[in-house]
Amino acid sequence: MKGKLSIASMISLLVASAITVMTIFVPWWQMKFYAPQYQEGLDIIVYPTRLAGDIDIVNGLNHYIGMALFSNESFPELQYMPYIIIAFAIAILVVALIRRKMPLYILIGSFAMGGIVGLLDMYRWLKEFGTNLDPRAPITLDPFIPPIIGKNTIANFVTNSYFSYGGYMLLLVFLLLVFPLWKDRKKA
Amino acid sequence: MNPTLKRVIFAIAGAAAGLLISFIFFADLNKGDQNASANQSKAEKVFVPYGEKDEYYMMASGGHSGQLFVYGLPSMRKIRTVPVFTPDPATGYGYDAKSKEMLGGYTWGDFHHPAISETAGDYDGQFLFANDVGNNRVAAVDLETFHTVDIMSLPNMGGPHAGVFVTENTEYIALPTRFARPLDGQFAPLDDYESEYKGVVSMTTFDREAKKFDLAYQIVLPPWSYDLSDAGKKMSSDWIVMTTYNTEFATTNLEINASQNDRDYIVLLNWKELEKQVAAGNYKDVNGAKMIDPREHKGAIYAVPVAKSPHGVDVTPDGTRFIAAGKLAPMMTVFSFQKAFDAIEKGEFTDEKYGIPVLNYEDVMEREVDPPGALGPLHTQFDDRGNAFNTMFISSEVVKWNVDTGEVIDRQPSYFSPGHAAATEGDTVSPDGKWLVALNKIAKDNFLSVGPSHPESMDLYDISGDKMEHIMAVPVDPEPHYAQIIHRDKIKTITVYPKDEARPNSVWKQDDARIERNGNEVHVYGIAMRSRFIFDAKADRPDAVTVKQGDRVFFHMTNIDLDQDITHGFGINEYDLNFEVQPGQTSTLEFVADKAGVYPIYCTNFCSALHQEMSGYLLVEPK
Ligand SMILES: [Cu+2]
Repeated sequence: MKGKLSIASMISLLVASAITVMTIFVPWWQMKFYAPQYQEGLDIIVYPTRLAGDIDIVNGLNHYIGMALFSNESFPELQYMPYIIIAFAIAILVVALIRRKMPLYILIGSFAMGGIVGLLDMYRWLKEFGTNLDPRAPITLDPFIPPIIGKNTIANFVTNSYFSYGGYMLLLVFLLLVFPLWKDRKKA
Repeated sequence: MNPTLKRVIFAIAGAAAGLLISFIFFADLNKGDQNASANQSKAEKVFVPYGEKDEYYMMASGGHSGQLFVYGLPSMRKIRTVPVFTPDPATGYGYDAKSKEMLGGYTWGDFHHPAISETAGDYDGQFLFANDVGNNRVAAVDLETFHTVDIMSLPNMGGPHAGVFVTENTEYIALPTRFARPLDGQFAPLDDYESEYKGVVSMTTFDREAKKFDLAYQIVLPPWSYDLSDAGKKMSSDWIVMTTYNTEFATTNLEINASQNDRDYIVLLNWKELEKQVAAGNYKDVNGAKMIDPREHKGAIYAVPVAKSPHGVDVTPDGTRFIAAGKLAPMMTVFSFQKAFDAIEKGEFTDEKYGIPVLNYEDVMEREVDPPGALGPLHTQFDDRGNAFNTMFISSEVVKWNVDTGEVIDRQPSYFSPGHAAATEGDTVSPDGKWLVALNKIAKDNFLSVGPSHPESMDLYDISGDKMEHIMAVPVDPEPHYAQIIHRDKIKTITVYPKDEARPNSVWKQDDARIERNGNEVHVYGIAMRSRFIFDAKADRPDAVTVKQGDRVFFHMTNIDLDQDITHGFGINEYDLNFEVQPGQTSTLEFVADKAGVYPIYCTNFCSALHQEMSGYLLVEPK
């Protein structure tokens, strides 16, 4: 049919939709802390729905520098993230079924926007936690902003932040979304 | 003298002197080199580099310290002292309400023989049982936490020296008494020893789920002294063997009077048969114990004569034989269970001693092993290749010999006077045959002097080869009588107590910390965390507690730092009180605030950079 996406493109979008749903169940981002006393490392693991890892221990240590407590409650995003993900998955599914290019453009645009907003939100939180330290804390530290990806040193801790499975799966979803643009490009 | 002769003599003398000097010089140098390289290879055998761990745990009894000493093998590094029968301020054992109640007011115990719980005759690594010769008790240590979880007092006993040992599947933890006493705490003069005094074996059970002992039944016996014992394995698993001394019924100066008979006895008890009889109601209630007399039940008890005043009796790993070591008669005797069963079958008894059928020595004995000059055999351990190892107290050595042939394979000195020895997995159906530790009674000048009170000493031998190799001697606090050595893979510990929000008296959220008053009782439901105490979250000073003089105060403390090795202590100045809460643990300290005044409370177990700041106040208002 003229102007419609190819079968291959449709499959690509269907796979993207399925992967999007799966990201709900895997961690997206992770931070690992090392110190002489914690050579095995402490973890903060961020799922789209909750925090996991050694949250209590990290909180226990963070109180020395006056950092606010981490908990599921301190990140309201975690409550509506699954709805956003499901909404995206459904949108991808719909685009796959109607096989039109214009909705796909809109979808790619909003997916990219979502990614940018997400990264900005993460940066906002990292800045919030790293710079809003309780001035009465026993150990006074210069405010800091941990990087979203990479290494940082805070007191006796070296932190490594990196994207986890969910992050890479979202990247794959993005590639699967743009695949039809290449596949069904206008032949000159 | 003829000058030529003179010259010749001088030449010879000179050459001889030169030869002698060179001999001494080079010989010494050579020997030094050999020693150095031998010592180096010994050191390499036991060096455990940082980041690696010892292959074995050695659980050594602490004797009259009432404690358990945990060592790593082969490094012989001491890892931990676990209090069992003795209060221990370092861990708060005997101070917090639960362990204080468990100790029952006693301040010491005499822990001789540890026994790790067994399944199918092999250590399963779940619990360790301990006897208290001093105060007639049995204790269990949970090897998940290395905490003592239960202590039970045993009535009718006079020092359960011959325990503890466990039957093949830990059906029973058995403790035969050392001293005979009148039953039921009665008084009877020593003149009535033969008729009124009894030897008793306690058969206890342990519920692994509830972590509780129960006294299943007791066995009443003649007033002999029961020294050591072991449980059968495999074909002999229904049986218990025990050594006796003082079959003379001496009541004074036992050193002489209990060493008169040329033969004492090994007692064989069929615990399966006794269990059946007890279940059928064939017992008397004596001081709360079900007391059964095995002499009233055919097939329940036999005796075998044995060389004078034996100490250890040990069942071989395959369960076919038991070996008695004659403390005062310098030999090891191998007895065959099959031969004993055959003699019992045929009804061949020499005589009866106090109602016990006595088997013929020759009928049951398989061989006697008497290495020349080896004196004072005390105890036998085994490897995985059919060999036995005996400690010789008097000649201060370890003798390796073959159980099947009696051939003496090797003898190595010990430094000095070994009591028991412990081989890797040496009491099980499958010993490992790698290391042997002799637990010595005398150290003399082996170590840096600390004055007249010497440490005890332990020798480590490599027994993996044909010949034993002495590796090193190590000091130890008084005084391990016996040890068991278990492979590390069998011990499964926890590092942090699980966060159990349903646990009575526990508080997990800072906001929930509170003080409840009820008449003259004050209950503090508090939190210990890095680096503060929270007793009352709502108070202006959450770390201060005010009570009235005479109030009964309960500190229910939970350590909410669920982090490995973050233990908090809790000491109250001048109140002689201290305990600790390990990560995730809840413990209670109970006392009467009978002294008015202001008493600092502080964390006694260094926990964090701000440990020094982890403190509060107990304010006791005067009446
Ligand atoms: Cu502390």
